[in-house]
Amino acid sequence: MATANMLVINPLANAVPESRGDCPPELPVEVSLVSAVLDGDRESFGRLYALYAPLVHGILLARVPRAEVDDLVQDIFLHAFKKLHTLRDSAAFGPWIAMIARNRAVDYYRRSRETVEITDDLRGTDKQESKAAEILELIRSLPEAYRETLVLRLVEGMTGPEIAARTGLTAASVRVNLHRGMKLLREKLGFREGV
Amino acid sequence: MNDDYLWDKSGDPDPEIQQLEEILGTLRYQPKPLQLPEELSTARPRRNYFPLAAIAATVLVALLTGGLWLQIRSSEPSIPAVAIAQPTAPIPGPPLSVSPDSPRKRTPRRVKDDRQEALAAKQQLMFALRLASEKLNAAHRRTQDKRSSYENTLPN
Repeated sequence: MATANMLVINPLANAVPESRGDCPPELPVEVSLVSAVLDGDRESFGRLYALYAPLVHGILLARVPRAEVDDLVQDIFLHAFKKLHTLRDSAAFGPWIAMIARNRAVDYYRRSRETVEITDDLRGTDKQESKAAEILELIRSLPEAYRETLVLRLVEGMTGPEIAARTGLTAASVRVNLHRGMKLLREKLGFREGV
Repeated sequence: MNDDYLWDKSGDPDPEIQQLEEILGTLRYQPKPLQLPEELSTARPRRNYFPLAAIAATVLVALLTGGLWLQIRSSEPSIPAVAIAQPTAPIPGPPLSVSPDSPRKRTPRRVKDDRQEALAAKQQLMFALRLASEKLNAAHRRTQDKRSSYENTLPN
């Protein structure tokens, strides 16, 4: 892939410490990062990317075929970079990019309604991956409110409070969605004679 | 079902959830570098104040014209309604006395002149307002054109 005229941002090099201790506790780190990006600091966008790529990946994984997810993640962050000046509340970067991801997933099906097969290829490279793809299909068959929360929790490994903070949903909503979604998933898995 | 573990991974681990985490973890996001083209910019577009200035100037001109017209109109003695009304039959009774210090006599010719002046002033005001409206429309169109051309220059 041509890298000329490209700034390659490595999310590992821009990893954000778990504690987010480099920012005052009352001010979300996103505020200073968004402000820095708007002032021309492209590296700060790498930190936003590192923070929010798992969220965007999870949102897409709950909706579009796995093979398309990585490219769409890149597209969404490029779009977010171009449109960052339209973000009114810097602290709401998470809900903003989550909404872009959801809209992009809808666009994906709208644009390729006739050419794309919705279901993923369940034949994984190994047994574990095949099983994972199968369970993911089950999660995708759940109501929309549950599937995103479950993917973020079970696939991306985020906790409930993290999901609430990043997506802008209330903690109570996330908790209810996790509980009900998990209950439905267990029922579906039970019909399939266990994991 | 252990809700605490599902919620924030605290409390006793739920073996079923742990198993799901282990299996589904193979699909977890794998960090990949983000490639930002050099020419891509997130800078705020520079605000074009010309349309606003044009609108403000137009409104100012319209206000000045209106004020001038009102001033001219108020400096002239007002036209009494009876002067415009059609002549009527004389009122029976003793003749009305006219005081010597009454304002200048308003002859029908004078009334006609006043009305023509008022009409001319009204036409001038209407012209000024029409001009102001045209300028506002032109400024609006220019803003729209600039916005659409800016959006067209953005890469998809």
